[in-house]
Amino acid sequence: MFQPLRLNALLTAVVAALAVLGLPLLGVGSYVLHVMILIMIFAIFAVAYNLVTGYLGLKTFGHHAFFGLGAYGSALISIHLGIGAWASLWIGAALAAAFGLFIGLPILRIKSMAHVAVVTLAFAEIVRLSCSNLKGLTRGELGLWGIPAFQAFHLPLVGEVVFSPANKIGYYYLAALLLGMTLLATAVILRSKIGLAILAIRDGEDAAESLGVNLTRVKLGVFGLSAFMVGVAGAFYAHYVGILTPSAAIGADLMILVIAMVLVGGLGTFAGPLVGAVLLTSSAESLRFLDQYRLLVYGGLIVLVVLFAPRGLASLRLPGKRVPGRPA
Amino acid sequence: MTAMPIALYIEQIVNGLVAGSMYALVGGGIALIYGTMRVLNMAHGEFYMMGGYAAFYLVGRAVPPVLAIPLVAGLLFLVGAAVQRLTVHYLLRQDGWLFACIAATLGLSIAFQNLALIVFGEDYKTVPYYVEGILRLGDIRLPLQRVLMLLVAVGTLLAMGFLLKKTRFGWALRATSQDSDAASVCGIPVSRVHMITFGLSAALGGVAGAMLAPIYSVSPWMGLPVLFKGFVVVVLGGLGSFPGAIVGGLLLGIVEALGVQITSAEWRDVFGFALMIVVVWARPWGLFGKAP
Repeated sequence: MFQPLRLNALLTAVVAALAVLGLPLLGVGSYVLHVMILIMIFAIFAVAYNLVTGYLGLKTFGHHAFFGLGAYGSALISIHLGIGAWASLWIGAALAAAFGLFIGLPILRIKSMAHVAVVTLAFAEIVRLSCSNLKGLTRGELGLWGIPAFQAFHLPLVGEVVFSPANKIGYYYLAALLLGMTLLATAVILRSKIGLAILAIRDGEDAAESLGVNLTRVKLGVFGLSAFMVGVAGAFYAHYVGILTPSAAIGADLMILVIAMVLVGGLGTFAGPLVGAVLLTSSAESLRFLDQYRLLVYGGLIVLVVLFAPRGLASLRLPGKRVPGRPA
Repeated sequence: MTAMPIALYIEQIVNGLVAGSMYALVGGGIALIYGTMRVLNMAHGEFYMMGGYAAFYLVGRAVPPVLAIPLVAGLLFLVGAAVQRLTVHYLLRQDGWLFACIAATLGLSIAFQNLALIVFGEDYKTVPYYVEGILRLGDIRLPLQRVLMLLVAVGTLLAMGFLLKKTRFGWALRATSQDSDAASVCGIPVSRVHMITFGLSAALGGVAGAMLAPIYSVSPWMGLPVLFKGFVVVVLGGLGSFPGAIVGGLLLGIVEALGVQITSAEWRDVFGFALMIVVVWARPWGLFGKAP
């Protein structure tokens, strides 16, 4: 992360960004846009999860709580307080961040990874149970429906930008914008001095502290920021699909999926979560007819990747092909 | 509340003890694996689920429960040992094995759940009570099924205690959990101890699943809530401590049984989890252990 941006990395990023921005101009169908929007929502989630787990080294298993908090927070605020989705999205994300800081505090004190895993899981379970028990507010598992979409607005040169199930182009570009902001924020942080502190904490907490890294501030800040990003993804999801249930928005399945994405793409790599989100979401969509085997495959995939490619699929080398300068 | 007869309270406490003895079996299994390998086994709930299904099919084929329960334990021992040998065994040698083991067992848990869904179907299966009848002690009434559960749990835990304290394998296991390198130097086959420990832990989970199958129904998703209960239990008792898990299990069972009188059942788990987070914050070494 500290070396200067290489030309081909920069080129790849530019080409990928242009491809994403140009796709709707090719006149692709609404279904393709839908799959792309899902990929981008998951990509934001996976990038934020990777920031905490891959870079900071704080292995959490409860990030789906922040997705649910962002989703339910933004949905309920826009329904009951009459605040538009454009503003409630940020309020929902801020709510997720606030809870992130709150649960981050007890986690910071713990060095044992198992305790962190148990506490974050239990926290997400508390959020899920609360959302399904507070039926007066959230309608529980019946589903919270009637979540307003983003208001249309007028853009010079482009014309009216609308957000409706029939016309997904507005959602598409908004998702791309949010993902772009997430990636930019992550890149800026990782390339800054704080980024060095983050990696130092992952590689040796005591050593980092002895060199003057403020562990509490860095860890809590990164955890809160990650919760905020996941909250943004959740809030966008709420206003995109228009209906929320606790099991869909805060279910453990969601976390499994994101963990699988990050592991497949490569934990602690910048492009890994993006690659994972694209691969797993698109394969899930193209294998719809295998729906009942989907979670079985994800579970098995996590086991296989951890066993045989702990640094992600990108680190897999074909037999016989040797990397120069590295023993086979 | 004041009108409540004392017998009803005693009944609640005994019911709590019965539930707690099952939590102790589940928590004991989690603690055993964590204590020896430092692996947080997220697939433990699925051992419990398999125990439930094994009991359903054995009892359904008219195998008497006296035979069925040991069979379930034996079967789950083999499953657990196989899981350890095929996955955790290799993961323990990796860099970053702590996270690798949690992630892999999480993947296994999801895979087992959905495998059960495909193989056994999504309908909830009911298992008949192993014993009919009610035990009366004065005003206190207890179904014999619950008495049997308590007896099986106590018997199993006593047998485990004997195994850990009095046998050569138990010494090897405890030596391995104290310092696996030193144990290895002394000629203890650490890998084999790990494998057997995983099997024993799965057997404990399986017995709990088989004993609870007549009370709750058997389904592919039955493991997850029990896994969470097990986590609460081992955190209360100090993660990795087998006796701690037993005490933590009994405590949680009694607290829940009395707590249901005060709050509604649907918020019960929320309080359990909140209690656990507070304990981790204030006393990460458990309620009864000593600070390191």
